[in-house]
Amino acid sequence: MKIGAMFTDVVSSLFKKPVTEKYPHERYEVPKRFRGRLDWNAENCTGCGICAMDCPANAIEMIVIDKKEKRFVLQYHIDRCTFCAQCVHSCNHGCLVMRADDWELAALNRKFYTKWFGELSDVEYVLAESA
Amino acid sequence: MEIIRNLFVLLIFPGGLFLLAAGMFYEWVDRKLLSQYQNRIGPRWFQPLADAVKLLANEEVIPEGSNPTLFIVLPVVALAGGITAALYVPMAGFPPAFSFAGDLIVTIYLLSLLTLCMGLAGANTMNRFSLVGATRTLTQLFSYEAPFLLALLGPALAAGSWQISEISAYTTQRWLLFTQPLGFIVALIGLMGKLELPPFDAPEAETEIVAGALTEYSGRGLALFRLGKGVEMVVGLTLIAVFYLGGVSNPLYFLLKTLALLLVVAGLQALLARLRIDQTVGLWWRYGVLLVLVQWLFMIGGRMVL
Amino acid sequence: MGAKMQTNKTDGKFTVPIGPQHPALKEPAFFSINVDGEIVTNAYVRLGYAHRGIEKAAEDRNWVQTLYLLERICGICSHIHSTAYCLGVEKLAGMEVPPRAQAIRVLVAELERIHSHLLWLGVASHEAGFDTLFMYSWRDRETIMDILEGLTGNRVNYSANLLGGVKYDIDSAQADSIRQGLEFLQERLNYYLGIVTSDALFLKRTRGIGRMTRNQAEVLGAVGPTARASNVARDIRIEAPYSAYEHFHVSIILETNGDLEARFVVRIKEMLESCRLINEILDSLPEGELVMRMKRRINPGETVVRVEAPRGELFYFIKSNGTDKPERIKVRTPTICNMSSVVKLAIGSQLADVPVILAGIDPCFSCNDRSVHIDHRSSKTCRWTWEELRKYGIRYYNGDHS
Repeated sequence: MKIGAMFTDVVSSLFKKPVTEKYPHERYEVPKRFRGRLDWNAENCTGCGICAMDCPANAIEMIVIDKKEKRFVLQYHIDRCTFCAQCVHSCNHGCLVMRADDWELAALNRKFYTKWFGELSDVEYVLAESA
Repeated sequence: MEIIRNLFVLLIFPGGLFLLAAGMFYEWVDRKLLSQYQNRIGPRWFQPLADAVKLLANEEVIPEGSNPTLFIVLPVVALAGGITAALYVPMAGFPPAFSFAGDLIVTIYLLSLLTLCMGLAGANTMNRFSLVGATRTLTQLFSYEAPFLLALLGPALAAGSWQISEISAYTTQRWLLFTQPLGFIVALIGLMGKLELPPFDAPEAETEIVAGALTEYSGRGLALFRLGKGVEMVVGLTLIAVFYLGGVSNPLYFLLKTLALLLVVAGLQALLARLRIDQTVGLWWRYGVLLVLVQWLFMIGGRMVL
Repeated sequence: MGAKMQTNKTDGKFTVPIGPQHPALKEPAFFSINVDGEIVTNAYVRLGYAHRGIEKAAEDRNWVQTLYLLERICGICSHIHSTAYCLGVEKLAGMEVPPRAQAIRVLVAELERIHSHLLWLGVASHEAGFDTLFMYSWRDRETIMDILEGLTGNRVNYSANLLGGVKYDIDSAQADSIRQGLEFLQERLNYYLGIVTSDALFLKRTRGIGRMTRNQAEVLGAVGPTARASNVARDIRIEAPYSAYEHFHVSIILETNGDLEARFVVRIKEMLESCRLINEILDSLPEGELVMRMKRRINPGETVVRVEAPRGELFYFIKSNGTDKPERIKVRTPTICNMSSVVKLAIGSQLADVPVILAGIDPCFSCNDRSVHIDHRSSKTCRWTWEELRKYGIRYYNGDHS
């Protein structure tokens, strides 16, 4: 039984640098597997829509304009996404990936949080249709 | 001329603005040292000032069931007690502003006035946490006061006077730290009890009774109490530096000695866990009184022999 | 709900309310403590502030979506909730998960156990007033969170499980970084074990406080480290091994004192045991695939799963009716079993000890979703069945707000 059992640790801390990370002035590297924002690569997409079905937060909407010509538009709600990466593993063709470099997703208005993936003409078509 | 000098002493230096600024500075140093011991970055230098300014801007809510006059007056009396106590102590290396025979007792009493006001403030409301906190504050006051007083009277006995300026003149020539070590230890730890710093922070234990006696306070009242605590810290550290560490004859010595004491106090804060209130009382009435009585025996014995 | 504080000054005793918002609690709960001076004479607990309707919400989501919903019942034991669910669903579907996936599941579960116990060490010492140990143990917790981030991609809520396996693999570089982190942690954990058993002031707050004898622990139904600190040898990983625990064995950690110090010692020793187990798994990770293909409609049936969460025995009941959505999921978390021991032990102790006793069982209030119906007219409290709740909902939405 001693009084002040943490004595050496406490006193030696006077001479050590604090461990606090001064974010955002110093940032440390995120690992490769970090789950940031979603990214969609349309090359292999077949429009099956399993990613949208399996998303626990309904953050993905797959809009099929023409299945045979492979014209798809993916609407991704960043504010609903829980970054669980289930869509990445549900997709049988490897079209989705979670980017480790884009994770600072704070914004000042809500428009930032709806992201449209697809050919520009297709996206405009969808937006015009819904208006 | 006297009136202008008195007003200056009361409002600017060494009372008033200087004391409030010193209190905030010492509170910051204490928090920064504590955080350095805990291996993290602490607050920036203006944090206590920002706290005080923000609190003064907040709305003061007077709870139901409390006496409104007492609620508003108690923080003011507490701060006033702290500032008045500083007038008799050699602040910042300069001789005390006012001095008369027996002012040591008056200073100690004024410091206890602050704790009493906090206890009364807690008992004033109907909040359960405040009542428990007030009980604990007053119990703790009852437990450390006797050893602390005796430890401060040791140098007074050695100097043969109860006037702080004469004691200060006596201790400037010799460091009583080496001839009365036990008294120094009791005085330093007693100061931690008076200021309710860990391990003696049972009266304001955050995880048990929210904020103790000050739970219902907000806005101006809380700001004044916190400033009062900062002032108490400065005055207490100065007293111990004067009595045991060889007096404060110029501002540089004042700064160095009080900051050295603060280093030790912050280290003890970081090292020790919180004691329950019954353990605090047991500790003080067993070991505190014992140590100080042993010190007095040695002192009186030494005087009779030499 | 009695928001007004009445001065219940009968016989000089009064009631101190701890909660629903209190610095001692990390999540809302309500403890009503009657004190006489500083001694507690009566205690009463009411839970349900964190009820989110998760069991009901699970019925509207398909099997894959429910996995992520159940993971978020609790932030610190999220992996073990999803493991229990996956084990149940895989049992219903009759699938056998490949051994490599099982080993990785167990590895992440043990990493989560270390994470949870380190967090608890900090919180409990903060409740006892020892802030320095709080800061240091949370600093060391960053090491574990970095390991988990490198392995799964997130610091809490790892989402490492899939129905039928795991998402992430461990290669040799990662295994090396895990081993390095664990070596650092083992040294720190041995140091904390020394402090917790030898620091005089800390022992004054923990030795002999909240003592629960073995008989009391068995009668009150305590589970997990709280029970093991009272010499009750109950550990699901040993009694009923699931997943990879059949190949990688855990030794049970028991203490006989049953007081708070014993609970600290049990949890730190469990962390050291987990470190050893993780090193063993890393050394002999079986080869194989990571995931089996799972059908979307699970065969009808009912199953029961018991796993060892960091806090004790976690119990899942899963019922399927052949569609792609679960029919009924029932979760019983370990904290609800330990909660009655808090109320029992608080009586007779001092008021200052109540937060530490509460922290000693490692409460996770988010896991306790129970709902209590308070009938203002008859001033009775009872627990509702599913049918009664449904009938009340139909009545309410048809306009009958009685």
